[in-house]
Amino acid sequence: MKALMIVTEKLPVPPVHGGAIQTYIAGVAPLLAERYDLTILGRTDPVLAKNETIGNVKYERVPCGGDFKKYRQEVVDWLRNKSFDLIHIFNRPRLVKAIREVAPNSRIILSMHNDMFNPEKITPAEAAIAIDNVERIINISDYVGNTIKGMYPQAADKLFTIYSGVDLNRFRPSTSAEALRIREALRKKYQISSKKVILYVGRLSIKKGVDILIRAVLELAKKHPDIALVLVGSNWYGQNKVSDYVAYLRSLAKRSPVSIITTGFVKPEEVHQWFWAGDIFVCPSQWQEPLARVHYEALASGLPIITSNRGGNPEIIRTQNKLIVDAPEDPKCFANKIAILLNDPLLGKQMGEEGRKLAEQMFGWPRVAKEILEVWEGGEKGEE
Amino acid sequence: MPDKKNLVVPNEWLDKDGYVPSEVKTMTNHVLSNYEMTVFTMKLITTKPDKGGAIWRLETSKGTRSLKLLHRPPARSLFSIGAQDYLARRGARVPLLVPTKNGKLYVEFGNKLWIVNCWIKPLVQASKINLEGAEKLCYGLGEFHKLSRGYQPPNGAEKPSRLTRWPEYYKKIINKIDWFRILTQTYKDAPASSYFLSVVGQFEKQAKEGLARLQQSAYPKLAARGEKYWGLAHQDYGWSNGQLGQGGVWIIDLDGVAFDLPIRDLRKLITSTMDDLGEWKLKWIKGMISAYHQGNPIEPDLYQVLLIDLAFPNEFYKHLKEMLYNPTDFLNANTGRLIKRLVKMEESKHSALEELSNWKGGRS
Repeated sequence: MKALMIVTEKLPVPPVHGGAIQTYIAGVAPLLAERYDLTILGRTDPVLAKNETIGNVKYERVPCGGDFKKYRQEVVDWLRNKSFDLIHIFNRPRLVKAIREVAPNSRIILSMHNDMFNPEKITPAEAAIAIDNVERIINISDYVGNTIKGMYPQAADKLFTIYSGVDLNRFRPSTSAEALRIREALRKKYQISSKKVILYVGRLSIKKGVDILIRAVLELAKKHPDIALVLVGSNWYGQNKVSDYVAYLRSLAKRSPVSIITTGFVKPEEVHQWFWAGDIFVCPSQWQEPLARVHYEALASGLPIITSNRGGNPEIIRTQNKLIVDAPEDPKCFANKIAILLNDPLLGKQMGEEGRKLAEQMFGWPRVAKEILEVWEGGEKGEE
Repeated sequence: MPDKKNLVVPNEWLDKDGYVPSEVKTMTNHVLSNYEMTVFTMKLITTKPDKGGAIWRLETSKGTRSLKLLHRPPARSLFSIGAQDYLARRGARVPLLVPTKNGKLYVEFGNKLWIVNCWIKPLVQASKINLEGAEKLCYGLGEFHKLSRGYQPPNGAEKPSRLTRWPEYYKKIINKIDWFRILTQTYKDAPASSYFLSVVGQFEKQAKEGLARLQQSAYPKLAARGEKYWGLAHQDYGWSNGQLGQGGVWIIDLDGVAFDLPIRDLRKLITSTMDDLGEWKLKWIKGMISAYHQGNPIEPDLYQVLLIDLAFPNEFYKHLKEMLYNPTDFLNANTGRLIKRLVKMEESKHSALEELSNWKGGRS
């Protein structure tokens, strides 16, 4: 059986520049390729060949410069005169119609990772055609599926949630000698060796609520002088121009009696080290987020998680219910939840262990690949 | 000599008077070779070191011209170039784009677009100290807006539009006023903080009311008429980008133009002028609106939106925004005085707006 996975026009697979969808595909592709003759079609990139075979996965790349329309045209041209039993499109419902036209007999599966079905992203007419022409729509969270169903009830029978996964070998608790060594080295480098480290991983953006987290830390610092906040992946110094928001964050942080640190850009392949260095993971998202990958990474790394009740974020940590923040716009709510863990280190440890266990049971790539295979094989419809 | 094809305009460079990186200088030679003219002298007039833009004045065999390196992404610049060309063809007083030897309006090089304009001379600034100068600018602005209607950007251009984004913008400001409050609370020991905290509420209320009024107004209906109907707003119009020359007001620096309700430019000009005057002067505002109306009639619904936008705490936001960058330095005694001035202006602002809401003159 020949299967084709189509990436978005933004970033290539393997995820040499990161990207949630790219990480996902890279995680499951080798496993899917054990059962299918698998090709991955994506965009070209200066550091990647135009086509190559890695293990049992074939890669084909077309030029588009990140432009969707160009990409769609290139994909269609590439597909012409080829035949696949199954085409799995990632997060681009606007590709479906064009692909159906050149592949009238292929089964088409669509994976949805965010809000690309929203009316400002796709017209209702085009969305309806896309839904009509796909066999199944895989969502990365119930939140994403429910949002689609809310707009397009006719999609209900096709929707199926498959939670994403994480590399359980790379993201693991900091128990090994190597992990402990790196943990200590990072903490020493930033002079936070003796601190309780609160960890945030992501961009400095309003949607992500970094200002709320900093304010929570300012609040906490009054009673907990032994904490530090590490913002991984961004930098607020050394730039010529910063946005108003970043300036605001910096000005808030300047008043902090405890360390608030930005690490600067961290390569995707090194980010797990920061999970080793942290003690409490916080995701202060303010927006209806589909379900941020960092949750899987924190779970697998054995960190206790505090997250907001927005979007799909709370779905995968249901067991840790009491640390979901129901009013994420209020810094006090985050401060209160963080304080629970600061005051009860044992609870944090326990949560971390449970999280790791959950990750091992649920969030390894083999489970994700297995569920995708069930869909590919036309398996039973998932439940809502 | 590096391979020319690999040259890229940097997105920022050292902020030093009269400085552009050497590769940018190298690129100008290649760009200029695309034009049918001999360049005698070339003088760097201004740069945008934080964005990667520059303007040179050229003395050429075809007269005085300017070379402009547009800092925005090519597709965005293309929109503005198309707009400038459209406006010029329709008889607007904007600089004429000089075509290349191949008849193109720009040169794409180093990942940016470059243009050559005819230099307009002589240009003089309208008087800032009397109403007549402001009226001239407003009339010219109205003409400009009117001629921009119907613009259709060239293929491949981005289509920047703020037409439907007013509520988003208002919300953003409301959000930022909240940041101001939180920062001054965090820096409550700074000289200006306690006074700021005692008055921020009234500006915040004004902003929130503004948003509610906007949403209830004819704004959504007006915006729904679409980009082509309304045309462009300049987005950076004032005494330096609108100047007096042959035939009336000439409008320059069009690279930021975007689809919008045109009165956004008028509102900015009015509120910044009142800010300069230190007081909301009804006579000035009426004069400016009437002059604009001569150039581009304001229908009653649009006038209501203009009033809403005038009432919004635009100048308060503009002046205090700097706080985000360095609260310790900013929240000093001078800023305290600045805030006092803004609060004092509120009185005349309030009464002027009340008068304007009943005013039917100058408009038909």
